[in-house]
Amino acid sequence: MAAIIEIKNVTKEFKVLNRREGLKGSIKDLFSRNYKTVRAVDNISMSIEQGEIVGYLGPNGAGKSTTIKMMTGVLEPTSGEILVGGNVPYKNRTRNAQEIGVVFGQRSQLWWALPLVESFRLLKDIYRISDENYESMLKLYQSLVDIEPLLHKPVRQMSLGQRTLSDILAAFLHDPKIVFLDEPTIGLDVSMKAKIRTLIHALNKEKKTTVILTTHDMGDVDALCRRIVIIDKGKMLYDNDIEHLKGFFGSYRTLKIRIDGDLEKQAEVIQKELPEFSVSSDEEWISVLVDEEKAKVLDVLSQLQKTHRIRDMQLEEISTEEVIKKIYEEGVQ
Amino acid sequence: MKLKKYLALTRAGIIEALQFRLSFVVMVIGNMLYLIVVYFLWKAIYASAGTDVVNGMTFSDTLIYLVLATALYNFMEMYTVWEIGRNIQTGKIVLDLLKPIEYRKFLFWSYSGTFVMQFLFTFLPTFIVVAVVTHGAIPLGINLLYFAISVVIAVSINYSIDFIVGTICLYTQSIWGINIMKQVIVLLLSGATIPIAFFPEPLKTIVYYLPFQSIYNAPLSLLLDPSPSANTVLSTLGMQLFWCVSMLIVSKAFWKVSLRQITVNGG
Repeated sequence: MAAIIEIKNVTKEFKVLNRREGLKGSIKDLFSRNYKTVRAVDNISMSIEQGEIVGYLGPNGAGKSTTIKMMTGVLEPTSGEILVGGNVPYKNRTRNAQEIGVVFGQRSQLWWALPLVESFRLLKDIYRISDENYESMLKLYQSLVDIEPLLHKPVRQMSLGQRTLSDILAAFLHDPKIVFLDEPTIGLDVSMKAKIRTLIHALNKEKKTTVILTTHDMGDVDALCRRIVIIDKGKMLYDNDIEHLKGFFGSYRTLKIRIDGDLEKQAEVIQKELPEFSVSSDEEWISVLVDEEKAKVLDVLSQLQKTHRIRDMQLEEISTEEVIKKIYEEGVQ
Repeated sequence: MKLKKYLALTRAGIIEALQFRLSFVVMVIGNMLYLIVVYFLWKAIYASAGTDVVNGMTFSDTLIYLVLATALYNFMEMYTVWEIGRNIQTGKIVLDLLKPIEYRKFLFWSYSGTFVMQFLFTFLPTFIVVAVVTHGAIPLGINLLYFAISVVIAVSINYSIDFIVGTICLYTQSIWGINIMKQVIVLLLSGATIPIAFFPEPLKTIVYYLPFQSIYNAPLSLLLDPSPSANTVLSTLGMQLFWCVSMLIVSKAFWKVSLRQITVNGG
């Protein structure tokens, strides 16, 4: 199948003003300016196929939004090539806009003062959606979520969750080939998150829409994405299946034990006993991250049992969250 | 239909404007206060001048001119600069840029609903009141048609200038000072605050070669002239059209060049 998004060796640099500090510095800045170049995205390549849901992850300031802005055509790459649906986005921004939908979790594209249905009607005219498609889309929405009470409510009176939901529906309304979701579940409660995940999943399945999702919530990733791309400091760290990612670090397991005494001090003691593994503690547990290639979890446990009275124990598979955390902290070796 | 998507924006603007009843009341009151100030100011000016006619205009000529100029201002002011500046600062501009409509048009048509409302609720009533109170100081004839055409062109010139100034916000990231400066320059040089007849000769000449007088002075002089010669009409409208086209080209080109500057907040 042909790729719908093709990114080749894309780099984006920003010129940033080096501001001097204090009043004196600010005055100096008025006369002589000192720019430095910041590389927000550094030589990234990927290819995304129609119908995929790709989780695009990275710590804050990693360059995720910059990449998305380049894919939507708002920013022009400093070098490299981007093709979205066969178009060069920044050259054909208006044409590209017809083929994509965008949700920025912290902003709304809806008309603030108007009831949702008016925003939908406007989008219908702006994107020139035919009556049939519009009706069938509304029917589909109706079958997925209860939109009737939302439709007649002004957007400014909506809760954050309702607004995000509405924004997602608005982004899918013109049946775009690609939808970019930039942190759609930010600030939402658990049940709303689940609702939104179900909705995205259903729309992706029903309409074969390609979804690019950036998020900090690993729940989103586990629920929606088969493939993830991780970037940090503008560089690509990982691009593969989520299972493969777990396999990559899958030999790790977390052994959690509860023992008497001051856990922090005990953790230090255990760390000395087990120098090859990382040991940490919280209020209840001491966690040992065991690399199973070096030692069996049970061996570690029996070794610990010799020197400590273990009251309780737990064994945890490493979660996506921890894997990502590890990658953010250490990178892929 | 291509026009449909633009009219949809107009329609939404009207509905949106109707949601905020109070702001209309405030606008009408503010407008009245301003007109009262204008009335007393010019009354004092004429009183101190000692003659009935100053610079070829009587007190009532001046007042009618200024009242209509204010009404025209209320209806033409689009707050484009604010809008663009705010959109840039909040980053909302990204969402607007991603509509399948040129940003320039999107903004204009988004505002056009308020336009219609302001025309109906401020310009038209003021116009009618002036026409009735002054017993026919506003000639009602073919000049109304010229006036209408002239206003349409003026709206376009005004928007282009606003858009150019708004584009500057892409570079400066601040709005306030630029907007105030633009407002003062446009209002003064367009003859919206002081009739151009009152300007000293050199300034008059300069103003004549600037686009601003095409915004307020041109439509108003066409409106208030009971029997304009074909020559006057053609030269006034021709001048306006010239500025309309050239400002349009400049604003489009400037926007296109500047858009590359965009580094939207966040990311």
